[in-house]
Amino acid sequence: MKKVLTRLLAAATLLALPAAALAETSVDSTSLLRFYQESRAGSESKNFVPLTQFLTLDADKLGDGHLSAHLYGWGRLDLAEHYVAPGQAESSMDGRLSYGYLQYRFDAANAQARAGRFFVHEGIVNEQLDGVSARTDLPYGFGVSAFGGATVHTSFIPGEGTDGKGDGLFGGRFNYRYGGLLELGLSGVYETKAPVLADPALAGRFGDHRLLGGDLWLSPHYMVQLMGHASYNTETLGMAEQSYRLQVKPLKGLLLAGEFNEYHDRDMFYSSALFATLLNGNNLNQLSRTLGGSANYALNDQLEASADYKHYSRDLGSAERLGAELRYNLPEGKLRAGAGYHYLRTSPEFAIIPSSDASGSFHELRLFAMRDTKSLFGSLDLIDYLFRKEVEGKRSAWELAGSLGCHLTPDLALSGDLSYGGNPQYNDEMKGLLRLTYSTKIAGKGDAK
Amino acid sequence: MRRPPQTLTILALAGLMFALAACAQLRALPSLPASHPEELATGPVSCAECHEDQQKGTLKAFAAFNHSRAFIANHRFYAATDDILCATCHKVSFCADCHTNQTEIKPATKNGNRPDRFLPHRGDFLTLHKIEGKLDPASCYRCHGRANNERCVACHR
Repeated sequence: MKKVLTRLLAAATLLALPAAALAETSVDSTSLLRFYQESRAGSESKNFVPLTQFLTLDADKLGDGHLSAHLYGWGRLDLAEHYVAPGQAESSMDGRLSYGYLQYRFDAANAQARAGRFFVHEGIVNEQLDGVSARTDLPYGFGVSAFGGATVHTSFIPGEGTDGKGDGLFGGRFNYRYGGLLELGLSGVYETKAPVLADPALAGRFGDHRLLGGDLWLSPHYMVQLMGHASYNTETLGMAEQSYRLQVKPLKGLLLAGEFNEYHDRDMFYSSALFATLLNGNNLNQLSRTLGGSANYALNDQLEASADYKHYSRDLGSAERLGAELRYNLPEGKLRAGAGYHYLRTSPEFAIIPSSDASGSFHELRLFAMRDTKSLFGSLDLIDYLFRKEVEGKRSAWELAGSLGCHLTPDLALSGDLSYGGNPQYNDEMKGLLRLTYSTKIAGKGDAK
Repeated sequence: MRRPPQTLTILALAGLMFALAACAQLRALPSLPASHPEELATGPVSCAECHEDQQKGTLKAFAAFNHSRAFIANHRFYAATDDILCATCHKVSFCADCHTNQTEIKPATKNGNRPDRFLPHRGDFLTLHKIEGKLDPASCYRCHGRANNERCVACHR
């Protein structure tokens, strides 16, 4: 049934494509040809040459001008060795439809309806579904949205024959806004019963995906913004997440911020077949808290400096991260550059292999620059992680990546990326790809363009 | 006790009038345009450069949406409540570069020619995730929580 529904939705979207010829249509295509070799001790070297195609299609102003069709997906063809995903049959081809839906926008109240496969980001809800959704503003500052349909299943967990998700998904958000001062939202998601997993270790750790939550935005003064959200797991009867951020702009260009986040592992990971297994031992309610602050200063339209600090505390141990960054942007992307430094200092428990003298601390350095002209574009990107204690005999993990391309026409560009580096995984690692991008907008009959 | 038919008729008429009044009110509420009326320059924008007023539709000041580094790093708070405003400039595929399920290539590789974009997992994140994952698993969960990415389940089962 699910497959039939998915095919029907894809077919409905494809049927809309001829009409797209009469509408305002934009097409974005990215083709990537990669080459890499895997060589592992005790097994033969394998060469992989995957060709991957990403395609985005947006057809606006269909029908009476309020209807639009949107499609995005990818497909891969292996030209050499086949990549075989765990638990899946060997195949030289793969692909996914990320979204494909029809949308109708009404003239008033920001009202719109969708049907097909799409993502929902509303309040605490972040889901992908095959179904329908609708939203509208209401009088007196209220607003409402709702969605429902079939869950989009993902990869099966090896040995389980399921991805751990129920088959149906429903939810929505109700909100209230008062001037430029306040927004309050209530949102929730209800997924039908999760499958029973065979792994006995998951008893009490894994179950249905059902959350309720609230969100807040408050700006009592134009210099101040407070925002946040909290979610409550109705199955475990515990708070899953709380996140709050306070921003103050005391001067033009200067933004000071403080943030607080709190998570309970069991309540947050309860409906994830993958993450539920990662809960340590019988400590099902590990608490994570982060407290941080940052300062951003735009020196002018081109130059922005920032500094940040965050303290992490978990039942396991504690850590802190601090650093700064500088960014330079010329208009129209002609030149963009950045430099950053961060240091993560952790207690030994966060080391890859914890021991009394181990460390998970590292320095992070980054430098990048990119330039775009009418005919050519290119970039250089250096990233280096310097470990305080060796990881698998290596003191650092670094990578230098370069990209060079040319605009063949205003819509068509060809570029190539090459990166080289060394890290604890590989003595040296070289990767490359070729990228062909096509991005165009076709205005329909009668359009001003 | 059965209600007289007149009472039901009056209730139905009152309900219809209420629904019509609500629809009439909705028709009077403003809407954001489907797309930004003017083409914008590439790169991070500052909405307040042109817009001084408060938005009609979302009732938040335009300056709140200036694409500073802080805004980009914390865009989740805005996208969760004002995605209809985001959609006036961004196609959904822009979001789906990172926020998707079962993607083929990590975003930093797909957009390797755009080091200016805040794309996660640059460099050797395979090593780094063994530290970052223990430190802040909730940050992993936001994207990978229920996606069961093939490369995650290959080891974490």
